[in-house]
Amino acid sequence: MSKNKSPHTDSLSPLSGRGLGEASGEAVGLRVAFKTLGCRLNQYETDALVTDFDKAGYQLVSFDESPDVVVVNTCTVTNQSDQKSRTVISQAARKNKDAVVVVTGCMANNFKEKLESQDNITFVVENNRKSSVLALVDAHFSGEILHPNQLPQDVFRYEPVQKSLHTRSAVKIQDGCDNFCTFCIIPMVRGRAVSRPVADVLESVRKTIENGFKEIVITGVNIGRYEDGETRFEDLLVKILDVPGDFRVRISSLEPDGFGDRFVELFSHPKLMPHLHLCLQSGSEKTLLRMRRMYDVGQFRKTIHQFRSFYPEFNFTTDIIVGFPGETEEEFHQTIEAVKEFNFSHVHTFKYSVRKGTRAERLENHVPEKIKTARSLQIRELSEENKLRYYQSLLGKIQNVLVEKATKTKASGYGDLYVPVEFQGKDIQKNTVHTIKLTGFSGEGERLVLVGELVGLCV
Amino acid sequence: MMSLIKHEIKIDESFYKVEEIRQLTRETFSLILPKARFAFKAGQHISLGIYGDYQSREYSIYSGIKDDHLEVLVKEVNNGYFTPKLRKLKVGDLVEIHGPFGNFGMEPKATETGKFVFIASGTGIAPFRSIARTYPEIDYALIHGVRYTTEAYDRNEYPGDRYILCSSRDTKGTYHGRLTGYLKNCTFAAETQFYLCGNSDMIFDALEILKEMGFERDQIHCEVYF
Ligand SMILES: Cc1cc2nc3c(=O)[nH]c(=O)nc-3n(C[C@H](O)[C@H](O)[C@H](O)COP(=O)(O)OP(=O)(O)OC[C@H]3O[C@@H](n4cnc5c(N)ncnc54)[C@H](O)[C@@H]3O)c2cc1C
Repeated sequence: MSKNKSPHTDSLSPLSGRGLGEASGEAVGLRVAFKTLGCRLNQYETDALVTDFDKAGYQLVSFDESPDVVVVNTCTVTNQSDQKSRTVISQAARKNKDAVVVVTGCMANNFKEKLESQDNITFVVENNRKSSVLALVDAHFSGEILHPNQLPQDVFRYEPVQKSLHTRSAVKIQDGCDNFCTFCIIPMVRGRAVSRPVADVLESVRKTIENGFKEIVITGVNIGRYEDGETRFEDLLVKILDVPGDFRVRISSLEPDGFGDRFVELFSHPKLMPHLHLCLQSGSEKTLLRMRRMYDVGQFRKTIHQFRSFYPEFNFTTDIIVGFPGETEEEFHQTIEAVKEFNFSHVHTFKYSVRKGTRAERLENHVPEKIKTARSLQIRELSEENKLRYYQSLLGKIQNVLVEKATKTKASGYGDLYVPVEFQGKDIQKNTVHTIKLTGFSGEGERLVLVGELVGLCV
Repeated sequence: MMSLIKHEIKIDESFYKVEEIRQLTRETFSLILPKARFAFKAGQHISLGIYGDYQSREYSIYSGIKDDHLEVLVKEVNNGYFTPKLRKLKVGDLVEIHGPFGNFGMEPKATETGKFVFIASGTGIAPFRSIARTYPEIDYALIHGVRYTTEAYDRNEYPGDRYILCSSRDTKGTYHGRLTGYLKNCTFAAETQFYLCGNSDMIFDALEILKEMGFERDQIHCEVYF
């Protein structure tokens, strides 16, 4: 990998005209573009595919640069994600009439037949075969007729991600979910919970660090339920933290059930960053039961207290669904109270969206769209207030910031607490960690960013 | 060893022939299926489909793990989509089973020494029958809430001193009224593990009562049907 490649930290395809490495395979001259929708796991899987295509000699381009191959990694978690996925597919196909269009991701599972019947899509690849997209495309260009169903099924066959893509890399440890929350389509499209063998995870961590990453994010659909033989999530975490090297570890979103004191104590490890995205979904016990969530508000509170009694500044963010079927004003009010009480620095708010085939589809008393919109707005406003209050509480404190973006005089990235921080500094390099004293803010609302002063260089 | 066991309970998408149908009340019946290779833990549920129909529904397994057959208990829901179709099934028809799923239930070891209280509304009794048949020595009390005592499905299988029938619309049960009314006046040992199964309103009310009695949420396990 050459050093001066442009990282792209959003879900867009890599920046124009920049290949990811020395073209080596038969694919010299072929151009590929990616678009990812949805979650961090999807983003990781795309990154791994990008790495595959790069190694095989494909050139990474954007959708507008006449790619020969277009890969759309879709999402189906809400109606809105279906809509976005559909729009991206048709735009990609319209702009690139001669390109091979590969559609993969959760929508490919949920609407397989429908997508397969569309003329503008060449291949529909289900999630469990996604890791072999390169083989499919290679076969296509070498004139071999290969149907996606002939690809091997393996949800963990992904290559460790190359450094040029992001500052932090995910490492997938688990896929699927058996919880069957009543609103959720994921068990239907990602399948049952499966855990990646410990040795594979550790190998992937080692390679990811060798590839130059200073931060890894442990990712999966329901990672708290990790189980490989006797190794549970906490045990795996210990093994990951024990991997030698100079890196930090984050945990992607987590279901708030089943933690013990040991999990809390693990955060005293200097590599494990003090932030969790714990999905509360609702502050009402009744709603949580109708959602078939596995915890109640009291247990959630206990977890938050446990963490904050050890680490007072610990950063919690969450997901909230508003307008779940049957959600009364009172129940919604309980959610408001919970968001205030737990002081989430960010709330990812979803308006409940009916997913066909889920139990919630059949629940009574669906909430009108207007009410959902109003409730969603209320939570968002609250989220912004919380964020401001939380960031205020951090002023004067120190954060070690991993730089993601840098100009000649300014740099920005995320601190240990997963708070965005900007600071002034000459010729700061990306992917270096700097010690910053937080002094103020810039921006507002959801775009609020902490501003700080450079105190020192860590790594 | 561990991974061998896990492998056994791997997802199995296959069709099973209905071997027998037991009519328990006018609305409620059980489907008896061959057990074949199907391995599960007592308390788990399956997803059941009908051959040729695109929909499926979850059902707790009603039989014990050592029984020769796999059995599910179904109540026909008025205006429901799936249960009227299940009702029409005949011996020899094909159903599709996915699973088993879920973590509702206890570790076998815990059944040797633990104290358990099972609280069920209606067909929510299903996982408890599976548990009681799987672990005949388990120390439990089963509080079953129904409207009419005719809904005390297979009550003769439970020792009389373990089965408490709460019927809200007739007086032939152990207790006349909702099971939550009965629950309020109970006392339980501090180390009791509670398992609640059925509709979410009952579970919510029972949870409140148990928490009020001072039990920790970690001692209370819930399986919500609707
Ligand atoms: C984990 C799990 C295990 C389950 N196990 C069982 C079981 O062992 N036996 C069983 O009969 N059902 C069980 N159910 C419910 C079952 O999955 C179906 O919802 C039920 O059979 C109704 O299906 P339907 O299509 O006829 O009605 P739907 O159209 O799905 O539902 C219509 C309405 O019927 C009501 N309803 C749903 N289930 C019941 C019920 N059991 N009794 C009374 N009213 C109900 C609800 O208000 C629901 O909104 C279970 C559900 C879950 C999530």
